[in-house]
Amino acid sequence: MNPSSPQELIAFALFATLAVASAIATVAFRNPIRNAVSLFVHVLSLAGLYITLAAHFLMAVQLIVYVGAVVVLFVFVIMLLGPGAETARDDSGIVPRAVGAASVLLVGASIAMTLASLNPERPARAAEFGTLRHIGEYLFGPAMLPFEIASVLLTAAMVGAFSVAKANHHKVKMSTETNPLPAKADASDEAQGEHG
Amino acid sequence: MILSLGHYLVLSTVIFSIGAAGFLARRNALIALMSIELMLNAVNLMLVAANRWQPLVQGEGGATTAPAPHGHVFVFFVIAVAAAEAAVGLAIVLSYYRLRKTVRTDAADMLRG
Repeated sequence: MNPSSPQELIAFALFATLAVASAIATVAFRNPIRNAVSLFVHVLSLAGLYITLAAHFLMAVQLIVYVGAVVVLFVFVIMLLGPGAETARDDSGIVPRAVGAASVLLVGASIAMTLASLNPERPARAAEFGTLRHIGEYLFGPAMLPFEIASVLLTAAMVGAFSVAKANHHKVKMSTETNPLPAKADASDEAQGEHG
Repeated sequence: MILSLGHYLVLSTVIFSIGAAGFLARRNALIALMSIELMLNAVNLMLVAANRWQPLVQGEGGATTAPAPHGHVFVFFVIAVAAAEAAVGLAIVLSYYRLRKTVRTDAADMLRG
């Protein structure tokens, strides 16, 4: 057997509680900036859980990509939208929404109860497991092609995000009835918009 | 008390269910995107835990080496895809807000005939 040390148990209990609590907070709060902060706490607690699983490289990637990029991107967009990021409560659909959420949670709980019975013995941690060298050798060996494709995906996503988020005055003009700001399109743009 | 694979799988399922419920119940596009991140994170946790419980490999001469990091590499790619998804998703939310002056997902009926 390979028993868990008390530190491991304490770390798991702490980070698991924090992860579940912050996940609930992420979907429950009304003010989006609070949701983003909850997501931040959730991502941090998952990084802690990765340490208990001897995944040190992934812990670093989680901190760099999620905390450093994704959560910051969310906060940027929320601040860019200002008060528009918050949506009003819709009272009409509260019963179907509650029933839907409860059924999803029920299905999740039943799957979790089945999974809880899975109890294989935990192997001893090999010294190189989860290290940068261990993952790097795999990443630049058998997983070379997906790794290169991932870089293409990220470039495409960057270009796509830029072109989608770029201010497009033709599209703004289409919805002038909901747009209090005057559309700043010049004559040639207007002509193109009418033809298009 | 021993930490088992079941502990991590249950935790991951609970987080995934919270994310799925949030995605279905909330009408705010930003919170829907955050719920997707929760679900992706739950799956990542499950993959890392499964990789940790993979048995050691017996080499020549009785030496044991670490199992191949399939789960870790998969999680690495999932994180890359999640970052791309967040960037494109938030760009769409920004563009949608310019059109409709709201981020409510049920106001997105421009394609309805």
